[in-house]
Amino acid sequence: MNRLVCPFCGARELEEFLFHKTLPEAGASEYSAVYERTNRLDDSLEHWQHVHGCRAWLEVRRNPSSGDVLEIRMIGGGRN
Amino acid sequence: MRFSFDGREFLGQRGDTLASALLANGVTLLGRSVKYRRPRGLLALGPEEPNALMTVGETPTVIPNVPAPQLVLRDGLNARSQNRWPSLRFDVASLLQAGGGFFGAGFYYKTFIWPSWRAYEGLIRNLAGLGEAPGAAAIPPPSIEHLACDVLVGGGGAAGLGAALAAARAGASVVLCEREPELGGELDFETATVNGASASDWIGAVRAELAGRGARVLTDATVIGGSDGLVIVHQVPGGLAGRDSMYRVRPRRFVIAMGAVERPIAFTDNDRPGVMLLGAAERLMVRYGVATGQRPLVFGNHDRIYAAAARLVGRGIRPVAVIDTRAGATTESAALARHRSVLERAGVLCLAAHAVLSVDGRGGVRAATVAPLRTPGAARRIECDCVLVSGGWSPSVHAGLHEGGERRYLEGNGAFIAASQPEWRLCAGAANGALELAAALAEGFAAGERAAREAGAAQGAGPVPVASGDPEPRLVPFWRSPASIAAEKRQFVDLQNDVTVADLRQALAEGFVDIEHVKRYTTLGVGTEQGRTGGALGAGILAELKGETLGSVGASRTRPPYHPLTLAAIVGHRAGQQLRVLRRTPLHEWHEANGGVLEPAEFWMRTRYYRANGIDAFAAGIVEADRVRKHGGVVDGSTLGKIEVAGADAARYLDRLYLSKASTIKVGRSKYMVNLREDGMVLDDGIVLRLAEDRFLATTGSGHAEHMLAHFERYRDTEWSGAEVALANVTEAWGVIVAAGPASRAALGAALGPEWTARIGQLAHMEFADGMHGGAELRVLRASFSGELAFELHCRPGLTVGLWQGLVEAGLPPYGLEALDILRVEKGYLVGSEMNGQTTPGDLGMDGLLKLGNPCVGVALLDRPAFREPSRPKLVGLKATDGKAVILGGAQITRASAPSRSLGYITSSAYSPALGEWIALALVARSDAAEGMNLVARDPLRGGDVPVRVTAPVHFDPGAERMKS
Repeated sequence: MNRLVCPFCGARELEEFLFHKTLPEAGASEYSAVYERTNRLDDSLEHWQHVHGCRAWLEVRRNPSSGDVLEIRMIGGGRN
Repeated sequence: MRFSFDGREFLGQRGDTLASALLANGVTLLGRSVKYRRPRGLLALGPEEPNALMTVGETPTVIPNVPAPQLVLRDGLNARSQNRWPSLRFDVASLLQAGGGFFGAGFYYKTFIWPSWRAYEGLIRNLAGLGEAPGAAAIPPPSIEHLACDVLVGGGGAAGLGAALAAARAGASVVLCEREPELGGELDFETATVNGASASDWIGAVRAELAGRGARVLTDATVIGGSDGLVIVHQVPGGLAGRDSMYRVRPRRFVIAMGAVERPIAFTDNDRPGVMLLGAAERLMVRYGVATGQRPLVFGNHDRIYAAAARLVGRGIRPVAVIDTRAGATTESAALARHRSVLERAGVLCLAAHAVLSVDGRGGVRAATVAPLRTPGAARRIECDCVLVSGGWSPSVHAGLHEGGERRYLEGNGAFIAASQPEWRLCAGAANGALELAAALAEGFAAGERAAREAGAAQGAGPVPVASGDPEPRLVPFWRSPASIAAEKRQFVDLQNDVTVADLRQALAEGFVDIEHVKRYTTLGVGTEQGRTGGALGAGILAELKGETLGSVGASRTRPPYHPLTLAAIVGHRAGQQLRVLRRTPLHEWHEANGGVLEPAEFWMRTRYYRANGIDAFAAGIVEADRVRKHGGVVDGSTLGKIEVAGADAARYLDRLYLSKASTIKVGRSKYMVNLREDGMVLDDGIVLRLAEDRFLATTGSGHAEHMLAHFERYRDTEWSGAEVALANVTEAWGVIVAAGPASRAALGAALGPEWTARIGQLAHMEFADGMHGGAELRVLRASFSGELAFELHCRPGLTVGLWQGLVEAGLPPYGLEALDILRVEKGYLVGSEMNGQTTPGDLGMDGLLKLGNPCVGVALLDRPAFREPSRPKLVGLKATDGKAVILGGAQITRASAPSRSLGYITSSAYSPALGEWIALALVARSDAAEGMNLVARDPLRGGDVPVRVTAPVHFDPGAERMKS
């Protein structure tokens, strides 16, 4: 994986984006959401920011072992 | 063209490489080997050349390890050989070898252990290594170009040209890259034909057609790596870094057609100058007109050796013998029969089932010892002046092995190809094991057509060009000639690293069985050429020694880059200012002109101290800090991070980000606020100003603005995405001057005039006034980071210098970061050393803020038992018990009775001019952090042990009387 397709800007080099975190499972406790995130090899839901672009926060679902990006969604409409 | 080699002047032809020009001048000794310093000549033509590595240019722009056959001759070229001292002809270290000493694998680790490795390290390091490193970052980085295309073809030989042609004809956009300066690969010296025309005519026609169809052809361009749909191509015209280019290519389909690398056969003293790969010798002759010798002996294990020998006869050079390791051929192709009859007519001795056992001669080859394989004792000596050897071809499949690719063994080739490819990559031609010209071209053509179709091109590619060239090689793997155990020490496998058959045998005997372990123990294939010639040979010999098949031994993993790169090429434009921008405040020039000593701090250039106040930061800082407390001063605060938060939901939004509420701040007032990470650790602190009902200015630590903006945006967008909040980083839109000290109010009045004097006089602590000054906006905030009466002036950057100058003239001398730090340590104010990402508000004594009970981000996780344990750190003050000793940041805090158990450490310290002693802030385990505790600050590398006493974090003016005055 060396590119992400920003829903607003299109396909961009990975260096424009900043990974923030792997999202916790739905319904996780606050403690578990911070400290007990599982790293799934096949399906990882993550927050990224297109920090050197439109600055949108992105929800990225990808397969870390193959590098395939399964889905990218802009969170909060990307306003600013 | 004039050029110099090791200080001697030579003449060469345009189009020569350094290797061809030197050989044409009769220079065959081109380097010495790295370990034994054996004399070495040219083996190969290309990046796989292990011996003839050159150092080009002069310090500091010297470039080491340039393969001579890749270095295109230019006028005035200055090249030097490597691994020799004092000269190439006479090398002192080679005498070690003359004494019979051979250093086997692991020799250094086993030998130089008494009294310690360090005793020998200097001497050995001096002898070890390849070339001389450039002295400075003097080599310019390559330009970088991004390309996108339907089909990228790596390799411009028969298969690559076929692939590019088919893809272009099918309507795809094509990029073709070829490592050599010219297209054609092996086509140009096989006396091959394509569609009935000579190969060179066909190459020219393909080039023209590709240009006509808009394909881009890059020569001197090597695929050095690629994965995930991105291929990196490095173009090095003339073979020399500094004039190179990088291409980041994103093709829809990538055809790997990078041919194969010829490999030698190991025999005793096979590293002598004059032992050369057959293909390299042919190319030298055809492309550069240089004959390797007049009486060559050809040695190999396949049909091509006869074709090559016949071509030599045709060019007027009669080989003395052709030695074939295979038993007599059972079936003879028409082509082979033709070649053999040429040799027969020329009277060339052809021996089947024979091998070269060794060569005679030191600086060159005088004779070869040849024997039947069944009865090696019946050897005969054949005089010759070079041995041209070919042991087969190893596919250049590196690009097909990235991204987790595996190899597959091809028995008939004695070589590995890529097993399977991700959908965007295809392998074709010799890189895929197709060694015969017609097959390689057809395979490339088919791959190009398929790649184009998969990339979306709709047209057909038309008929496959029909080629004819050398016959199918019908190779029978043969890795090394018979030798006695003693002679195995001179059967070289990896010439660049002086790895011999004896080393492989020893590695096996010592239990290094896996090919990867053998590689690391013996250094097989770790040089600049990455085992391109020696790797396959090593694996083959290892298989033989282990009694296994090559397929089960495997080959060691290949990784990018394919050829050596300069660090400049890897770093590219990401250096200096383009890596890390240094920001300057509006007062930068003023500081420089007025003796300010500027240093980079958190992306900003900031003034540490002013020269007039002392000989160094320590001395000047004390003078400046003392003056602020006694009188006053101004400091440049423009680096303060500033984020404007606006919108109907701004107040509620900030409430959720900070420990205390923003919604209770009245317009015109401000509040010191702290925010947390989601795990409860303190993230940052700053003053939040309420500019209007729906507008706030949140200040952050210097250099934290970018990070805090992302933090703010994240919570707005991800957690409360309905919130109506706009965020803007206005850090650089405002210059900030801090005027501090008892005299600051009067000086401000004098500088700003009567109208502002009245307003400033009325400002309560943490209150601010907005207005105009000199035709632009000015904001004056009464707040303090020094504990003194102080004002922050926020103004447009262009007005900053004028205001600053006015305040200096009104009697407030400037002070720098050093004094700022002394003043804040005296007051126990926090910076990044205390808010280090591992401390909670409770650790830092912010109990008052916690009691407010505002449920902001991070609070939920503060209520954990671990945060109440006695070992949790607590922010305290420290003073030396005797009132005089120096205590420095980083010193570990222990009890006197338990000197080896750290309770914490000093986060900041300063000599306080106001108190006349050293003071510190420290994070110390709660169990031992009560005021009045006697502890020891241990600093063994600097000051030794100092007894200290725990105090409150606020060392000076604990009642904060001064800043409220």
